[in-house]
Amino acid sequence: MTGLSPLMIALALVPALATDVWAQARGGRGATASPRTEAPIDLTGQWVAIISEDWRWRMITPPKGDIVSIPLNLQGQQASEAWDPARDEAAGESCKAYGAPGLMRGPIRMRISWQDDNTLKLETDYGTQTRLFRFGNAPAAGPRSWQGHTTAEWSVRGGGRGATRSGSLKTMTTNLRPGYLRKNGVPYSERAMFTEYWDVHALPTGDRYLVNTNLVQDPVYLQAPFQTAIHYKLERDTSKWDPTPCDARF
Amino acid sequence: MNGMIVGRRVVLILVLLMTSVPAFAQVELGGSYAIRMHEDYIERGPGSFMGDFTGMPMSDEGRAKALLYTSSLPSTIERQCLAQSPWVGLYRPLGIRFWSEVDESGRVVAWVMGGDYLRDTVRIWMDGRPHPSPNAWHPSSGFTTGKWEGDTLVARTTHVKTQWIRRGVGIPGSDQSTFTAFITRRDNLLTIMTVQEDPVYLTEPHVVSRVWEFDPRGSQGPLRDTCNVGVEIPSLEDTGEVPHYPLGQNPEEDYMVRTYNIPKEAAMGYAHTLYPEYRKTLRPVYTPPASCGRYCCGWIERQGLPGAAPGLTCNDGNLPPAVRKSLTSSER
Repeated sequence: MTGLSPLMIALALVPALATDVWAQARGGRGATASPRTEAPIDLTGQWVAIISEDWRWRMITPPKGDIVSIPLNLQGQQASEAWDPARDEAAGESCKAYGAPGLMRGPIRMRISWQDDNTLKLETDYGTQTRLFRFGNAPAAGPRSWQGHTTAEWSVRGGGRGATRSGSLKTMTTNLRPGYLRKNGVPYSERAMFTEYWDVHALPTGDRYLVNTNLVQDPVYLQAPFQTAIHYKLERDTSKWDPTPCDARF
Repeated sequence: MNGMIVGRRVVLILVLLMTSVPAFAQVELGGSYAIRMHEDYIERGPGSFMGDFTGMPMSDEGRAKALLYTSSLPSTIERQCLAQSPWVGLYRPLGIRFWSEVDESGRVVAWVMGGDYLRDTVRIWMDGRPHPSPNAWHPSSGFTTGKWEGDTLVARTTHVKTQWIRRGVGIPGSDQSTFTAFITRRDNLLTIMTVQEDPVYLTEPHVVSRVWEFDPRGSQGPLRDTCNVGVEIPSLEDTGEVPHYPLGQNPEEDYMVRTYNIPKEAAMGYAHTLYPEYRKTLRPVYTPPASCGRYCCGWIERQGLPGAAPGLTCNDGNLPPAVRKSLTSSER
């Protein structure tokens, strides 16, 4: 025995080399690679929420105390029963239902675009909100806000020769101001963490759908993560974009 | 000489590495998934209110057929085993399970979805077989093929039977319906989005998306793929009568209007009511009801039982008044 042969060494290197090869294949753009150039899916464009689920809780404001579907704890239930839109208006907090965890399930149109090579921008007409998805390790900065601080990372699959490149986006949002999961005062606290997975699917007809699978975790008001999947359709015609201010009642 | 041969082999392996396609072209779906009824609780739990077609893009024909429906209709023996949609699990209140079927070489021939479909499992063929002729038999489960697009299994179902789309409210789907399902597993979360196209009863695709959570204990219960009939309404036995409301005489047609103050066209499932701009129509006419009414608590308090959280008892309007009063006075 003279030790490992070159063949055995090569075979032993297969897993590591394969990983590296595919990692390079995913990028393949050398020093110019950035989250924007690396994007495995195209999230940009104008998307409209299709309100085919929970219509009565998303298109209109349900009455106080209608907390069906949301896993509140006792404190959350009590807080929802204390909902008072007039108080929110007086406090300058009409946007409490427009924070990221509540907004995404709203009757929205959203425009997603690249602000720069490392930042995706999400704008909504409903409540005229803007949220930034920051790739990399950007630390949370500034005071809490309705849209909080969102970090983003791609999950990439394939991309080598002959392999279709695909993937999805994962975002995590913290540093939120306390807000509402539902417009009738179902609360989340400033300790809430909002995790989202973004996928784009296409039909043979050319229709494209964006699916946002998300979890709201809140140790203050929820007894379990609130988990939903929300779907949107890509709009070629952007004429229905209709910016409206926050409204605490409707 | 031997060194040259070994060297060539090394080069060959490296070339193959640089040019080949990764073998990991799919995700392990196998396992049980527990339901999280955080969306459409009423439709998936107790069942929709009669006359509630909100969120549905129905055709006039679909609407008319739905309004003939009474809750006694599926109780007739001839209809107790009628197929529900192969993807009705998105409107059911229980978990689901996936498992694979493999050939002798271990290659996945089909993914099978079962657990909460009352008539059959859904077998998603992965071996590239074509869909049969349009005139072929329509089994309860339809015929489904699938392919991986990244981490998503895209399944297409044809050859379905006439079905009901939602539970307990009579919204019909025709046997010309096709479904495209996007099934994505990410860690412990399973997302399924279905797009139903139906040239008869829908005016545009009906889209639904749901989340399940991996359940290592497999506690979603046994498969329920058989259907046994029994006399549920003795007065109808052997009469040949088909329970239905005559056209224009469904007493629940205005239930959503009088109970939740929403316009009738929203309750009746017109496609344009599904989009944000419809709020302009709603704003001047909608006034929230004074109180919630029925099924206010859902996830917290199921079927009138005290809630899961310590000390929490939701004041659900669906409880008898005496029970509601006793719960709210003693536990709050």
